Amino acid sequence: MPIEIIPASRYTVQELVNLYNQTRVDYLVPMPMSVERLAEYINAFDVDLDSSYIARADDGQVLGLGMLGLRPPWAWITRLGVLPVRRRSGAGSALMDAMLDRAQTLGMQETHLEVIRNNAPAHRLFLKKGFKEVDEYLVMRRAPHPISKPARGKITWLDREAALDALATYPQHLTWITALDSMRNSPDVSGVRVEFADGDSGWLVFRYHKFFLSHLIFHTEQGSPGRIGIQLLVNLYKRYPRHDTYAENIQVDDPHLTALYAIGYFDNFSRIEMRRKM
Amino acid sequence: MAKILYIEDNPDNATLASKILTMRGYEVLWAQNAEDGLAMALENLPDLILLDLGLPDVDGQTLSIWLRGEATLAKIPIVVLTAWPEEVARQTVEAYELNGYLCKPFAMDSLIEAITTNLNS
Repeated sequence: MPIEIIPASRYTVQELVNLYNQTRVDYLVPMPMSVERLAEYINAFDVDLDSSYIARADDGQVLGLGMLGLRPPWAWITRLGVLPVRRRSGAGSALMDAMLDRAQTLGMQETHLEVIRNNAPAHRLFLKKGFKEVDEYLVMRRAPHPISKPARGKITWLDREAALDALATYPQHLTWITALDSMRNSPDVSGVRVEFADGDSGWLVFRYHKFFLSHLIFHTEQGSPGRIGIQLLVNLYKRYPRHDTYAENIQVDDPHLTALYAIGYFDNFSRIEMRRKM
Repeated sequence: MAKILYIEDNPDNATLASKILTMRGYEVLWAQNAEDGLAMALENLPDLILLDLGLPDVDGQTLSIWLRGEATLAKIPIVVLTAWPEEVARQTVEAYELNGYLCKPFAMDSLIEAITTNLNS
């Protein structure tokens, strides 16, 4: 079946939302979007709609879409989806080829993406397109509930600028959505730093929304990550006792995981990060 | 007649469930997103809320906190309808102190049972 590939920039955000939501009606992880959420997503993650595509059949029916984020020399494939009734039509493969060609044309050196564990068809497609698994990350959740643990250590709250300065020193790899560039694009970044009398210290950078916290990134500068992590979270929830929390892309071997579980987080699902050299 | 508020973004799911529940004698209200769901709950004070977790504006977990935070809504049973795996659904219901869950796809008999159980308790 001939498939036409059209830049997503020819569509309105509302049309992209409608299509995206239709591709996800039977998805493993339900995550529909609104116009506001997709617009924020496009901005935060440097999605380039001229480099993102819609697949259309020769009868004019829209089949699916895929989005490409650009941060030279890296590209990021996201929101790839095909309508349930039009799967196995080659649309997903055509969208991938179009985005990879575009990334190459623009001189990107490497393309990244994340796939939800157990999304076997997408995982197979990405392997076929030359992507290799790099790491695994957890998406975790915490419902608001009172914290009984006492707050300890000297606490400093970091404003947006100080939080971004701290994040700029982060020594390890961050996935696209928690990377410094993503946080820089977000207006609602904050942080907290804890320091103990014995010299142990660390910080937590996060995004603050009216009703929930998200995008948590922990770093222990000195000492036990478990101890530092717990104190960062205890202080966080003493300040925001009614906030829901959605922690995305916590590495499966992050040393602060024990603190997250101790404070009431549970796993929602996991993502595999994959990369392909261009 | 018990009044049920169904908060679900997918019109097909909402239409099907509404038809069946209406035939069983329930009054069904439908909200397509979290903001409308909260407004309709406050206005109509339903006897039970069926809540899809995947909503386009804020997700069902966060909406459940809003609902529980309203004095007039705090005690209304909330049953989650979700495509999440059963273990995640169970943990979510426990953590957010909700009343029950059904994993999609589910049989309509299971939905009726969950509704009657929660309305009677």
